[in-house]
Amino acid sequence: MASENTQFELPAAVYSPQLLESVMYDIEQYLEWYRQTAIQKKVHAKNTTEEPSHSAETALVIEAWLSGKAATVEGIEALLDHLRHLKLPQVHIMLAALPNRAQRETLVSWFRNNVGSRLLISFVADRNLGGGIVVRTPNQIFDYTWQQQLIAGRTKLAEILKRV
Amino acid sequence: MQLLILAGIVVMLAIVVVVQSLQLSRLGKQQKASAATPKPVAVSEPTAAELEAHLKAAYEAKISEATQTFGTDLKGTSTRLSEQVSRLTTKVIEEELEAYQKTLEEVRHVATQAMEQIHQAVEHQRVELHQGMEAELAEEKKHLAAKFDAKMGDVVSSYISESLGSGVDLGAQMQFILTSLEAHKEEIRKDLLNGV
Repeated sequence: MASENTQFELPAAVYSPQLLESVMYDIEQYLEWYRQTAIQKKVHAKNTTEEPSHSAETALVIEAWLSGKAATVEGIEALLDHLRHLKLPQVHIMLAALPNRAQRETLVSWFRNNVGSRLLISFVADRNLGGGIVVRTPNQIFDYTWQQQLIAGRTKLAEILKRV
Repeated sequence: MQLLILAGIVVMLAIVVVVQSLQLSRLGKQQKASAATPKPVAVSEPTAAELEAHLKAAYEAKISEATQTFGTDLKGTSTRLSEQVSRLTTKVIEEELEAYQKTLEEVRHVATQAMEQIHQAVEHQRVELHQGMEAELAEEKKHLAAKFDAKMGDVVSSYISESLGSGVDLGAQMQFILTSLEAHKEEIRKDLLNGV
């Protein structure tokens, strides 16, 4: 099963570590329910639990994993195992406010297209930034906020005042 | 005849000579005998007293003369000795004074040199201190001005950040954000690739 998924890429909708955790949780819950149901079927017992619901992101991940093939328990287990061992670089983005869905998609899309498709991006808000963006990678912090620009240009203020 | 007379005269003369020789010999013997057995001189008491007085006076006169001579000699010797001592003392004092003055002069010279060196060192130190203080003052002034500028910048930037914070519109900022990311995408990509 794993051989048919060498081209597997996380869908753009699953862009953050939190979303990935959520997808894995959904899959674990589904597998648990599936095993329980299978046992009940074997012993002709009455099915006591309903099929657990799952998010749209989980559905997208499973679809991407299966690539149009029929779903099997082994395949889903392999997907879960794959996701558990997935080690992707993480980027933390700090903005003056939490972005809405469209804004998130824009930023995620930009990162996947320009930096790398295999990334996880998390968002944090800090209104003190005023505007702009802070990108924290594993080794560096790239600060392109208005606050930073104001601090960096504070000598200009003195120069301007001297000129006045 | 004449011969006879002459002979007679000679004989007579010879006899006279012999007699005289005998008398002389006898007198000599007598003197010797008298010398061998001196006879005590008998002096009378007044004579003895007179002689003692004479002797005493002569002795006292000699003593007085000797004392006077000794005193005169002593006085002369003392005077010469005093002169000698005075001369020696003066010479020694002069030499000592000269040596003292020489030493004093050397000490004064050394002290003057030391004073000059100290003065030079103090002056040098003063100049250095003055220059150092001026440089430090200028540096401090510059530092304070920079600190003031920075503080003022901080105040203004904080004010602007605070003012903007309440009305953040990410949609309006998105173009600025994307432009900033676009301008630095190589750095971000490089860091992410190295960090993996």
